[in-house]
Amino acid sequence: MMINSQDKITASQAVVVLVNYILATGILTLPRTSVEKVKSPDVWISVFLGGIIAIIAAVIIVKLSQKYPDKTFYQYSQDIVGKWAGWFLSLLIIVYFITISAFEVRIMAEVTSIFLLEGTPTWAIILPFLWIGLYLISSGINAIARLFEIIFPITFVLFLLVALMSMGIFEIDNLRPVLGLGVMPVLKGVKTATLAFLGPEIMLLLVALMKQSEKTKAVKVVLVGLTIPLIFYVITVVMVIGALSIDGVVTRTWPTLELMRSFEIPGLIFERFESFLLVIWIMQIFATFTITYFAAALGLAQLFKKNIQPFIFGLLPIIYIISMTPKNINDLFKFGDMIGNAALYLFGVFPVILLFISKLKGRKT
Amino acid sequence: MWEKILAYIPEWKVFMQGFIVFFIPYIIFKLFNGIVSKQEMNDDDMVKMTDQTTQKNELEYQKESSSKESYDYYTGDFNLDVELVRKEIGHNWDVHFREFHIGNTDIRAAIIFLDGLSDKELIDKHILTSLMGDFSQKDEQESLYEKGDFLQKFIKNEVLSVSDLTEEYDVKQSVGKILAGSTALIIDGMPNVLMLGTVKEKSRNIEEPVSEALVRGPRLGFTETLSDNTALLRQHGENSDLSIINFQVGKRTKKELVIAYVKEIADPNLVEEVKKRIQTINIDDVAESGYVEQLIEDNYLSPFTQVQNTERPDRVFAALMEGRVAILLDGTPFALIVPVTFSMLLQSPEDYYERWLPSTLIRLLRYLAAAITLFAPSIYISFVSFHQGLIPTKLALSMMGTREGVPFPAIIEALIMEVAIEILREAGLRLPKPIGPTMGIVGGLVIGEAAVQAGIVSPIMVIVVALTAISSFAIPQYNAGISLRMLRFVAMFFAALFGLYGVILFFLLLCSHLVKLKSFGIPFVSPTVPYRASDWKDFMVRMPLMMMKRRPKMLHSKDSSRQD
Repeated sequence: MMINSQDKITASQAVVVLVNYILATGILTLPRTSVEKVKSPDVWISVFLGGIIAIIAAVIIVKLSQKYPDKTFYQYSQDIVGKWAGWFLSLLIIVYFITISAFEVRIMAEVTSIFLLEGTPTWAIILPFLWIGLYLISSGINAIARLFEIIFPITFVLFLLVALMSMGIFEIDNLRPVLGLGVMPVLKGVKTATLAFLGPEIMLLLVALMKQSEKTKAVKVVLVGLTIPLIFYVITVVMVIGALSIDGVVTRTWPTLELMRSFEIPGLIFERFESFLLVIWIMQIFATFTITYFAAALGLAQLFKKNIQPFIFGLLPIIYIISMTPKNINDLFKFGDMIGNAALYLFGVFPVILLFISKLKGRKT
Repeated sequence: MWEKILAYIPEWKVFMQGFIVFFIPYIIFKLFNGIVSKQEMNDDDMVKMTDQTTQKNELEYQKESSSKESYDYYTGDFNLDVELVRKEIGHNWDVHFREFHIGNTDIRAAIIFLDGLSDKELIDKHILTSLMGDFSQKDEQESLYEKGDFLQKFIKNEVLSVSDLTEEYDVKQSVGKILAGSTALIIDGMPNVLMLGTVKEKSRNIEEPVSEALVRGPRLGFTETLSDNTALLRQHGENSDLSIINFQVGKRTKKELVIAYVKEIADPNLVEEVKKRIQTINIDDVAESGYVEQLIEDNYLSPFTQVQNTERPDRVFAALMEGRVAILLDGTPFALIVPVTFSMLLQSPEDYYERWLPSTLIRLLRYLAAAITLFAPSIYISFVSFHQGLIPTKLALSMMGTREGVPFPAIIEALIMEVAIEILREAGLRLPKPIGPTMGIVGGLVIGEAAVQAGIVSPIMVIVVALTAISSFAIPQYNAGISLRMLRFVAMFFAALFGLYGVILFFLLLCSHLVKLKSFGIPFVSPTVPYRASDWKDFMVRMPLMMMKRRPKMLHSKDSSRQD
C-alpha cells in the first residue's frame, strides 16, 4: 500500500501517539512487577534507569528510520538485509504488533470484568472494543493521531488529579531508606522497568508517516515522548509505594487501583476515585490497541503491496483468538513477559545491527 | 510438547466468536459501501443521462431552430408576436395583455405583465402614460416612426423613464422574465421586445431573528428576499473585497443562489470546492437552504450537522472575515456558513460583543451543558444499575431509597422520562402561542409530580432528565442541540449494556467518528486537534479582542493577520 501523501502527522502528534502507546498496562502493574524484582523501596530509581535505557533504544531506532525517511521499516528492511531476510524480519515485527494488541485487549477485559462488570462474559467486553478500534483505524494515521490528541489531555488532567488526591495517605517513610540495600537490587529491576516503556518501536513506522518538514525533529519527539511517560510512571510508583508500602504492593495484583480504592475523600460528589483511573486507563489501552493494530495492518499491506482495508478486517479475528488463548490471569502475565522478552531482542538488538549494516552499505556507495 | 501446545488451543466457541468479530463489521462495511457506491453510480448515471438529454435537447433545438426558426424568435409582426407569447403563457390567469396605440399614431403596441409581481403603479404612471402621450411634440418627422429601428431608439432614449431595460429576441427567455415580474413591450414593426424591469417582489420587513435572539447585538435578521439579504451584508460596512457570486439551482424551478466570501481572505481552494459542490446539485426544486445543506455536506450518515445555518447577518459577516464562505438562497432567511467546526456550534455572536471574562465563563458553561446533555442520563444509568459501589455510600443509600418501589430497571425508567420530555418539546414547538404555556404546565406537572407519586420513576431520575433537557436548550445552535439529544439515547443504551465501560466505549466511538469527520476539508474537531495553540484563543475561552490578532489558522486564509 502506498502511504497517502496527505495522511501525514506533525511532530507534536507523533509525541502524543508515542506517549499514548507507551502508557498502558504499566500504570496498573508496574509497581508490583518492579517491586517483586527489586524488593526495596528504590524502585523509582529502577524506573528512572529503565526510562533512560528506553530513550537510548528509541534514539537508535529513530536514527535508523531517518536514514530512510520516506519508507517504513517494512520497506527499508528489505533494502538493508535483502528481500527475504527483510521480509522475515518484518513478519516478526508484525506478529509482535498483533500479539501485543491482543494482549492489551485481554488485560483490559480482565480488569474491566474485575472492577466494573462482574459477570459479563469476556467476549462481550472485547467485541465492541475491537469494533470501535476497527472503525477508528479504517481512516488512517491522521484520525488515530487526532483521537489520541483528544484523550491525552483527559488522561493528563485526571491522572494528576487522582495522584494528588492520594497524597492524603502518602507516607514518606515507606520510601526510606534510599539505597538501603545497595545498588544491586535496583539494577535487577531495570529490565522489568524497561519493559514498561515498550512503545518506541512505533517510530520504525512513524518517521515515515511524519510530515516532510518535521522529520528532522524525530529525535526530539522520542525524547519528549518518553520523558512524559517516565514522569507518569515515577509518580505512579512513588505514590503507590508511599501509600501501600512494598509489602502491600507485592500482594496486590493491581496495586494502583487498590491505592485508589483505599482512600475516601468525603464531601465531594465521588468519594472513591478508581473509576476516574479506570476511565483514563481504558482509553490508554484503547490507544495502545489501535496503534499496534494499525501498525500490524499497515505492515501486512506493505509486505503484500495491497490495499490496507482487507488486512484490517482480516486481523480482527486473529487478534480476538490470540487474546482469548491465555486461560487465566497468570497465563496472561506470562504471555506479557514473553512479549516483553521478544521486544527486547527485536527492538533492542536488531535496530543496532541494522543501523550498523546500513552505515557500512552507505560507506560503500 | 505437543500436548502443551494443544492445551492452549482455544475452544471451538472462541473460533466461532472470532468469526463473528470479523463477520458483523464486514457485513456492515459491505452494506454501507454498497449504499455509497450505488448512490455514486446513480449520480454517474444521472450525469450521463443529463448529458445525453442535454445533447438530445441541443439536437432537437438545432432541428427546431432550423425548421421553424420563426416561432422561437420575435418576427416584428405585431399579431404574430403577441400570438407567440399568448401561446406560451396566455392560458395563465395572472398574465395580463394590454393592447394600445403609441404616441398618437396608429402603431399598435402591447404590454404583457404578471399581476401581483409587477409594479402596477410604475406601469400606469410612467410606462403607459409616456407611451400613450403625444410624440409629435418632440419630433416632427412623423413618417420616420414607421421605421422600426428609429422608433425603437426613440422610445428607448426619449420616452421610457425606466432604469432597467433590455432588448429580447428570444420568446422563451422573455416569457421567463415576464413570469418573474418584468413587463414586455411589443411594438408593431420592431424585431424584438423591450423588457422593462418592473419587478416588485413580495417581501416582509426586516425583523429580529426569532431563532437566534440576542440580548446585545444588532436586531437585524435575513428575510426571504435574496437581494435584501445581500444588501444587508453590503450594508455592514464598505468592503470592496466582498464578492457575491450567483448560481442558479434547481432543474425545473430555477432559483437564485449566491455565495459570498471576502476575496482577500478566503482560501481560493475552499471557494472552488464550494462552487464545485453547488454545481453538482441535481434536483428539480431547491425548496430551502436545508436542501442545499444536505446536498453539499461531506457525510450524510453523520449525526452532526456539517454546515452552520443562521439568520443573523452579523454572524455571517464575522464568518466571512474569518475566511469562511456563506451561501444564501432566494426564498429563505437562513444563510449557510461553511466550513463549520464543532466548536462553532457552541458559540454565539454575543460572546464577542460582551466583555471577554463573562463571555469566557458563559462559553465554558455551554461546554458543560453539552457534556451534561450527552452523558448525564447514561452515567446515572450506569451508576444505578452497575456500580453502586463507586458513588458515596450516603448518596447511594438515598438514591436506592428513592428508587424503592420503582418497578422498572434504570434504563426503562430513563427512557420513559426522556421520551416524554422529547414529546413535550415537540408538541410545544408546533402549538399556537396561547396554548404553549398550558402545555408546559401540564407536562411539568405530569413529569415532575404525578409520575413520581405514582411510583413510576424516582425523583432523582426527574432531576437528571430535567437537567439534561435544560442543558440541551443552552446550546445556541438548535440543530446541534438535536444531534446531541439524539446521541444521548445511544449513550443510554451503551450504559444499559456495559455500565461505565459502555459510556467510555461510547465516548471513544463518538471521538472516533468526530476525528474522521471533515467539513469542506477542515477537520470537524479543529481547533481541538491537531493542537494549534494560536487557535485556542477563541475556542473554550474567548481571549480579549486585542489578543486575537490572527485569523484561525485552520482555515488557511490568505491574509492571516486581522489588523494591518
